[in-house]
Amino acid sequence: MTATEPTTAPVTGAIEPPGDHPFSKGNLIKTLVGGYLPLLLATLVVFLPLAWMVLSSFKTPGEIVTANIKVLPESFYTQNYVDVTTTVPMARFFLNSTIVTVAGTLIKVTLAIFTAYALVFVRFPFKNAIFIAILVTLMVPPQVSILPNYILVAGMGGKNTLWGIVLPGLGTAFGTFLLRQHFMTLPRSILEAAEIDGAGHWRRLWQVVAPISLPSIATVTLVTIVNEWNDYIWPLIITDRPEAMTLPVGLTLLQNSEGNTGAGWGILMAGTVLVILPVLVIFAMLQRYIVAGLTQGSVTG
Amino acid sequence: MTSPFDRRRFLELAGLGSAALALAACGGPSTGPAATTAAADIDFTNVKPAPSIDYWSSHPGQSREVETQLVAAFNAANPGITVNLITAGATYEDIAQKFQTAQSAKSGLPGVILLSDVWWFRYYMNNNIIPLDSALKLLSVNTGDYRDSLVKDYQYAGKQWAMPYARSTPLFYYNKDHFKAAGLPDRAPTTWLEFAEWAPKLKSSTQAKYAYMYPALAGYAGWTLQNNLWAWGTGWSKDWNITCDSDDAITAMQWVQDSVYKGAWAGVASKTATDDLAAGIASTTLSSTGSLIGILTTAKFPVGVGFLPGGPKSTTNVCPTGGSGLGIPSGITKEQQLTAAMFIKFVGEPANAALFSSATGYMPVRKSADMSAVLAKTPQIQTAIDQLAVTRVQDNARVFLPGADQEMAKATAKIVTQQGDVKSTMADLKKTLTTIYERDVKPNLKG
Amino acid sequence: MALPNLILIATFAYRPLFANLQYSTLNWTLGSETATAVGFGNYVEFFTSDDAPRVLGTTAVFTVFTVGISMVLGILIALALNQKLRGTTFARAAVFAPYVLSGVGVGLVWMFIFDPGYGVLSWILRGVGMRSPEWFNDPQLALTMVIIVYIWKNLGFCAVVYLAGLQSLPSDVMEAAAIDGAGPVRRFWSVALPLLSPTTFFLLMTTMLSSLQAFDLIRIMTPLGQGTSTLIYEAYLQAFGAYNRAGYSAAISVILFVILLLLTVGQIRFVERKVTYS
Repeated sequence: MTATEPTTAPVTGAIEPPGDHPFSKGNLIKTLVGGYLPLLLATLVVFLPLAWMVLSSFKTPGEIVTANIKVLPESFYTQNYVDVTTTVPMARFFLNSTIVTVAGTLIKVTLAIFTAYALVFVRFPFKNAIFIAILVTLMVPPQVSILPNYILVAGMGGKNTLWGIVLPGLGTAFGTFLLRQHFMTLPRSILEAAEIDGAGHWRRLWQVVAPISLPSIATVTLVTIVNEWNDYIWPLIITDRPEAMTLPVGLTLLQNSEGNTGAGWGILMAGTVLVILPVLVIFAMLQRYIVAGLTQGSVTG
Repeated sequence: MTSPFDRRRFLELAGLGSAALALAACGGPSTGPAATTAAADIDFTNVKPAPSIDYWSSHPGQSREVETQLVAAFNAANPGITVNLITAGATYEDIAQKFQTAQSAKSGLPGVILLSDVWWFRYYMNNNIIPLDSALKLLSVNTGDYRDSLVKDYQYAGKQWAMPYARSTPLFYYNKDHFKAAGLPDRAPTTWLEFAEWAPKLKSSTQAKYAYMYPALAGYAGWTLQNNLWAWGTGWSKDWNITCDSDDAITAMQWVQDSVYKGAWAGVASKTATDDLAAGIASTTLSSTGSLIGILTTAKFPVGVGFLPGGPKSTTNVCPTGGSGLGIPSGITKEQQLTAAMFIKFVGEPANAALFSSATGYMPVRKSADMSAVLAKTPQIQTAIDQLAVTRVQDNARVFLPGADQEMAKATAKIVTQQGDVKSTMADLKKTLTTIYERDVKPNLKG
Repeated sequence: MALPNLILIATFAYRPLFANLQYSTLNWTLGSETATAVGFGNYVEFFTSDDAPRVLGTTAVFTVFTVGISMVLGILIALALNQKLRGTTFARAAVFAPYVLSGVGVGLVWMFIFDPGYGVLSWILRGVGMRSPEWFNDPQLALTMVIIVYIWKNLGFCAVVYLAGLQSLPSDVMEAAAIDGAGPVRRFWSVALPLLSPTTFFLLMTTMLSSLQAFDLIRIMTPLGQGTSTLIYEAYLQAFGAYNRAGYSAAISVILFVILLLLTVGQIRFVERKVTYS
């Protein structure tokens, strides 16, 4: 997990409990209570709410608006899903979210690599000031920028467009910061060798720096994907047509104003399942890389 | 890592900052004196309707389907013109947020916007909407056939600023089975005091947790509690005088608090009071007429409806109107405004008003709307229509003060969920409301 | 090479920042074309009205509880995960999963769970003879609810980062401590925890920054900010909620930005002084 950090030897495995015979009765109970119980509890706390979401999405309005809740739905009621797909264009939301995430991530990560490379390996004045200026933007909450950015992007005709959703987030402080920290740790000798070979910055970046920094770049990529996919407030402001909406924004379309009644929850849960489940599936497949990636910055930084 | 933070670098940074400041200066409002000229009527002669406009709605009262139907009918009836139905949010507040963001950017404005009772006046103050008089006249809209009280709600400074659309009043809903089980007459109580006598019977003879459910505070407290305040002979305000701390108001709110704590027969809904009624958790509640069709389809028992109860000081005219109307933004072209007016005229036509009403339970806004088919199917709507005759114009404090509705909800929350002291809470509320009036409204009142 | 990124950052992060600075000196109703200059009036109003104690108090409570509880629970879970047991990989993934989910979706699911009428929580409470608290109406409970959900969503991050920290502890030190006869509790307090201090500071900083910027959950679960008006949400509500006071909102945004900046600089300085010994 910390393979990119050359100085610390990663130690896998835990601290051995000294003494006790491994199969004694006391030890077994200790393992169960001290070892498995917390793990089981933590896992349940995560899964039960999600399971409840799935179960509720198959319940009829009558089963939801009742004081006598039953855990399992009476029948496999799929009308909620039908309602979701007929009231809002779910497929379109998926497509939009995918495009926004893929395009946004590609550009952001590329820009971050460029910037970090320049900050570490290219000589130019005010380098540190620029770096701090980039860092400071980590502290500009995106909600704060809504109004000025809306005025600008809408003025450029970016309302209800996918580029309008992507554009303001492209400048990336987080990725730049993380990659810069990583590039700083690279041994200068490798680059000097490339420089002697006559390689320009472009070749040095792609042939030397990028390949040995793949884990860090993967980290930045994964973090960016998660953020882009879940981004809510900006897409909410800049879109009002379903054709241009992303999933989280589209999901809120399923809520209703004055006169909402019980049926609402079932439909909302069905919509939420459609938004959350794909992410969970992908996460389950890639969890090793995602968990390692998302936390990697912490150990190196 | 070495510290990137030292004083000299911060100074460099500050230099960078001032450059950005110059960049920031463009966009945003101008700081000149506020325009004081009242909006003049727009001359629509020789203006051709724009081929396409947006209509922003939140589909109040589950009206998505019927609105889609109305828009399609308009587009079919007007070849070459398209109205796009846009879901601009789930609540009136969501629409308002979008509208005001668009207004600030002066782009992306809709042709027609749904405005609730607490929002239109603000748009009027900000010059964000146009007076409709000239357009209505040009299109020869029969305003006399609209229900007078609903049309009057949108008049200010001698002009018409919106037309009624999804208009509602609160209605008293009750579970007929519960009433029968408790041996109560099959009608709404005439006064809240009468209901206080009924409540223990309801609680003891049914499974219901609460005899009465106060509607969710957010969005409803300011609106429906006018009923209690009026019944006790006062209100949130009288004209521009805030009266929410008067002795009568304190008595009224104390009664409300006692119904929750001392009497312990009333609850406060956290989301949708009609759901609590439908689930049998509460025997009665107050909700918008716009909830009528929804509740009739969800409830598994016969639902009764009635007028809002009165109180010790007055027993009639204690029901506020509410809901939303349609307006036209000022920041769009005359052509678009004309198309918008045509659409407003269209949805207000008697047949369409009846259709909208039947799908949602909202008031038919036209006197001549033929409701016979609707009433045959949903006779309860008649009660809502009858109650319209005894409604009262809402208190200025609620509908004209920006954010007042939220403040009223907050104060009520203190009283009914935290058992806060009624007198001091209402005194604080008065202070807040007065500040809002002095700061945000008084300087902007023209004419 | 760095230019495109710098231009974007200048346009979409710095320009709004300075625009806000300018707006914060105006009495400007959102949607209105004109505004009046009020100098520091908005700031004076914030600090002299009830808003300052209310909003700053809410922000402090939200931040302290989310950060504090996440870190304590995080290290406990990390210790549980850092055992030679089957299934820890799965448990690690499970605990981390909520972190990658959409805040909107998570907010909706938990709203339904907390619903005092039909929520599964109220049903469970009724089963043991208790009445469901008014999670949405009572401001204090609303804040509690949002804190709980926020921790649920973000706890996994703390746990996994601590786990990575634990696993990179030098094994010889831990073994030496074990041979010295230090029990697991003492080993944790006097050996592991001090060695983990860089991780702790990293977490303190990142979780604090993200707590102060928490938005989606609050917006979905308590749209009116009943009891949950942290600085960021108050700024949002003042401009886009019922009040439309864009100038006042901008002033609150600036205050939030200054707090974030001071915290970061302070923490970095503190870290440099305190942690470098390791």
